[in-house]
Amino acid sequence: MTTSTGVKSADESTDPGNWTNRLRGWLQGLVPPGEALPDRQPVYVASWIYVFGVLTLSALAVVILSGCVLAIGGVHWWHVSSLGHFVNSVHLWSVELFFGFMVIHLWGKFWMAAWRGKRAMTWITGVVLFGISIGTSFTGFLSQSNFSSQWIAGEGKDGINSTGAGAFFNVLNPGQMLLWHVVLLPLVVVLIVLIHIIQVRRHGVVPPLDADLEG
Amino acid sequence: MRSLSIVAEGPGRYIHWGVIQISVANLVIIVAMIILFVLALIVPFPSGHGQEADQERRQK
Repeated sequence: MTTSTGVKSADESTDPGNWTNRLRGWLQGLVPPGEALPDRQPVYVASWIYVFGVLTLSALAVVILSGCVLAIGGVHWWHVSSLGHFVNSVHLWSVELFFGFMVIHLWGKFWMAAWRGKRAMTWITGVVLFGISIGTSFTGFLSQSNFSSQWIAGEGKDGINSTGAGAFFNVLNPGQMLLWHVVLLPLVVVLIVLIHIIQVRRHGVVPPLDADLEG
Repeated sequence: MRSLSIVAEGPGRYIHWGVIQISVANLVIIVAMIILFVLALIVPFPSGHGQEADQERRQK
């Protein structure tokens, strides 16, 4: 309820039955105050190994942006246009960097047992993200609309079908693979990335093993 | 002609070592990633103002 001056009444701002209030409270409770975008980090974060998470995110941003440009040009644009060929290459190499940075990030976190300190969900979402990213890149290779994509589909169909997934995921259907690649899987990747980052911000960056033992 | 050149591309070079078979390109990428990982562990990170301020705050 609002007053005649447009100011919210006290009842409305605290009413637990109001779904807007509940949603606002849930959003505010996702990350501790001041931790959403911190400008300071513990001293142990001053190491290059802690940079690879952000590098992975940066590469993902380039992947998504270049993918959006490719979507504007269309499926065959990158085969008939030098600009399209360039953007396609940017998309490919940003994916290469994305996976390279992500795997080094994974190595670093594995060897420092980054699931310590109630960070199990951070680790699990990262592992799930790694798996789904592989699937997303697989559908990308199937969407190249060239002989390479035909070869990959021909080689991959038996493996996929043997799992039973072929009933709803047909690698020989380039239209379906393209839509999975540009709509469904990116949505899942971005959603899990958000959950992963929220988990990192909730529990903080994991300290090195020796720092943890001292603490 | 570009599509023809794709068809005409030769097979990649592979290394065979027992049951292990890997393309040279993949091997180079994996080795580069391992080198990058090791460098990230041993190369000192440039200390910024934030780190100095943190140390000063700890001393206080």
